[in-house]
Amino acid sequence: MKKRHLYTMALAVASLLATTITSVSSAHAASGTLQDILSRGKLIVGTGSGNPPFHFLDASGKLVGMDIDIAKSIAKGLFGDENKIEFVQQASDARIPNLVTDKIDITCQFMTVTALRAQQVAFTTPYYREGVGLLLKKGGKYKDYAALLKAGSKAKISILQNVTAADYVHAALPKATVLQFAETALIYAAVDAGRADAAASDQSAIAWLVAQSPKKYADSGYGWMPQSYSCAVKQGDQVWLNFVNQVLNEDMSGVDFDAYAASFKKWFGVTLQPPHIGFPR
Amino acid sequence: MSTGFFNEFWISKMMIWRGIYTCLFVSFSAILIGTLLGIVVGLFLTYGNFFTKFLARAYTDIIRGIPILVLILTFYFVLSVIHINLSAMQAGITSLSIFCSAHVAEMLRGGLQNVPKGQIEAAKAVGLGFLQTFFFVSLPQALRQILPTWTNTAVEIVKGSTLVSMIGVVEITLVMQQIIGRNFLTMQFYALAGLIYFLIGFSIERTGKFVEKKVAIK
Repeated sequence: MKKRHLYTMALAVASLLATTITSVSSAHAASGTLQDILSRGKLIVGTGSGNPPFHFLDASGKLVGMDIDIAKSIAKGLFGDENKIEFVQQASDARIPNLVTDKIDITCQFMTVTALRAQQVAFTTPYYREGVGLLLKKGGKYKDYAALLKAGSKAKISILQNVTAADYVHAALPKATVLQFAETALIYAAVDAGRADAAASDQSAIAWLVAQSPKKYADSGYGWMPQSYSCAVKQGDQVWLNFVNQVLNEDMSGVDFDAYAASFKKWFGVTLQPPHIGFPR
Repeated sequence: MSTGFFNEFWISKMMIWRGIYTCLFVSFSAILIGTLLGIVVGLFLTYGNFFTKFLARAYTDIIRGIPILVLILTFYFVLSVIHINLSAMQAGITSLSIFCSAHVAEMLRGGLQNVPKGQIEAAKAVGLGFLQTFFFVSLPQALRQILPTWTNTAVEIVKGSTLVSMIGVVEITLVMQQIIGRNFLTMQFYALAGLIYFLIGFSIERTGKFVEKKVAIK
């Protein structure tokens, strides 16, 4: 009996060692994300699928939006083909874990740049500037921002779950009750269902929603908290980060400006002025 | 944007169908693998020696004490740290299987230990060996006894499969979120998701009841 136990234990220890050795050797075989992606033949991008106009599925079930166009411009820079790309669906709170654990090469998912996050991942050049606004139900209890402010803690504000979500809301409505939800659709659903009086969301999203259903929603007319949206990569690979930054810079002010401006017009309804010629700033 | 529920439903029908397929694939894989694994663990739990019984007991107690969502996140994210990179689908099926196995193991142990001792003694008296007693006396009774609980666990796994949407497996819940992300018909499509889950759960439950009646000793 004892002998058999010893045998089992030895076997377990041996297999554990074997896995450790193979995993360690495979972990150090690779050299550089950029090379990895090029030899793999496709870019793996983490993004969401339920937040227009940044990333959502159109009527034909295709993933579209500003984040998707940005990701495609990176794939185009890598392979000359914007379709050599694999999108990994992720919830907003999986953005950093998926990068840190090497599930994806890059995340492009309307990610707000903060110093706290920059300690965990490396942000690229921002590709959009956003602000927070408040979406109200048309004909609801509160008409505008002033009414919400006056209501104090009675005003219930829904917002996408986030470490800093409560601070975001309290910066505009210091006493408001904050309701956090895991999906963007749910913060609007809370307004629809009357569980929340207003949804704190991106001004771009609010503009999109009010434009889509002017009879259902209204804008509170107040915006605050300017923030930059960037893609993010894993820390420690400057070559890859530089490559992405260069692609984004050329998107916004160089040879790929026309494509970027077309996306901007399509998703935000804003026509960009072409960058001036001459001194490059 | 939204062109009415039925039109939106018609546009999204293939997405929803693929979501249902993924949900069923994840759930049934997990139920199958979990049941097989659970039987092995359950046998150790009932007939093992001190060492194997202790391991099986630790396994079932630890797994049953962990919420499914935590298991899913563990298999998806934590294993990556030691360079075991499971895809979202693999991590989802693995965690649900393991959750299922712990419950099946405990059920099987209960079922086997509930067989009256007199029957085992009687089997011995008529000259049946351990394996014969197990296959012809204990197991058939234990299986009948655990069938209702097992059906319940199967439904539990289908419901638990909603949580794999958290790591990006596009099953019914995530499909609905994607559709809602486009047309904002929140209530309608979540209600539809509820209806689909109910139909799946109800079918499993009815099938379980049917089999129960079929195999009942009259």
